[in-house]
Amino acid sequence: MVHKSTVPSRVILGLLLAIVLDTAIQIFWKMAVSTIPSSSSAVLTFKVALQNRYFYWAMAGFVVQMVNWIRVLSEADLSFAQPFTALGYVTVLAFSSHVLHEQISINRLLGVFLIFMGVVFISRTPHQTTSKDRQ
Amino acid sequence: MTASGTGILTVVAAMTIESFAQMCLKVGASGGPKILVEPYQSQSISFAILSYAKSWIVIGILLYLIEIGLWTLALHQLDVSIAFPMGSLCFVGVALLSQLFLGESVGRLRWIGVFCILAGTVFITL
Repeated sequence: MVHKSTVPSRVILGLLLAIVLDTAIQIFWKMAVSTIPSSSSAVLTFKVALQNRYFYWAMAGFVVQMVNWIRVLSEADLSFAQPFTALGYVTVLAFSSHVLHEQISINRLLGVFLIFMGVVFISRTPHQTTSKDRQ
Repeated sequence: MTASGTGILTVVAAMTIESFAQMCLKVGASGGPKILVEPYQSQSISFAILSYAKSWIVIGILLYLIEIGLWTLALHQLDVSIAFPMGSLCFVGVALLSQLFLGESVGRLRWIGVFCILAGTVFITL
């Protein structure tokens, strides 16, 4: 049973923005904690992270993300919208491969393909299956 | 307990909290507890503070902040190649909560999609 659903363009744009913001947040967050040696304590990890400017960039992205995400959720199923954020994994991978000049392994290509397939399957389900006025 | 055992528990806790955070944001974004299925709808409406949509957004954000802390800790305790695929368990959690509490029809195709994503994140960290 495959339903073709017409997803409003606001929802599509919101999902795209969510993926872009997610990618930026992940990268800033990683940059904020990457200098901390893994032997340091949890308290020290937080202390150092709080002193890093990238941590605040990540938090700023988080605020914008929250506003955007609430807008998306007001018009789409949670179980429809949320899996699209998995595409952020692909963009983070692409970005870090580009910056770190890592070789793209066959496993990674397969992983990216599976994530895309997963999102394609979900995008072919109706974007809203509940009524806002369930009483 | 070993360091990685603690790390795995931290990831599972973080993903459970994230799934609930997402559900709370969805309830808030949809105008409040009327989106919930029974009996959760009546229970929430009769519980004064939960009858307002804004309360759900605030709870969702608070849960997210807890999740941020736990995830930072998890990334610190675990190798990214373990933490990262485990992090996609929140897609399973969200699908479950959406079906149980929000009454969304998570049909076979959506579940297949969720498990493809889960498998995909395992492969990209191999």
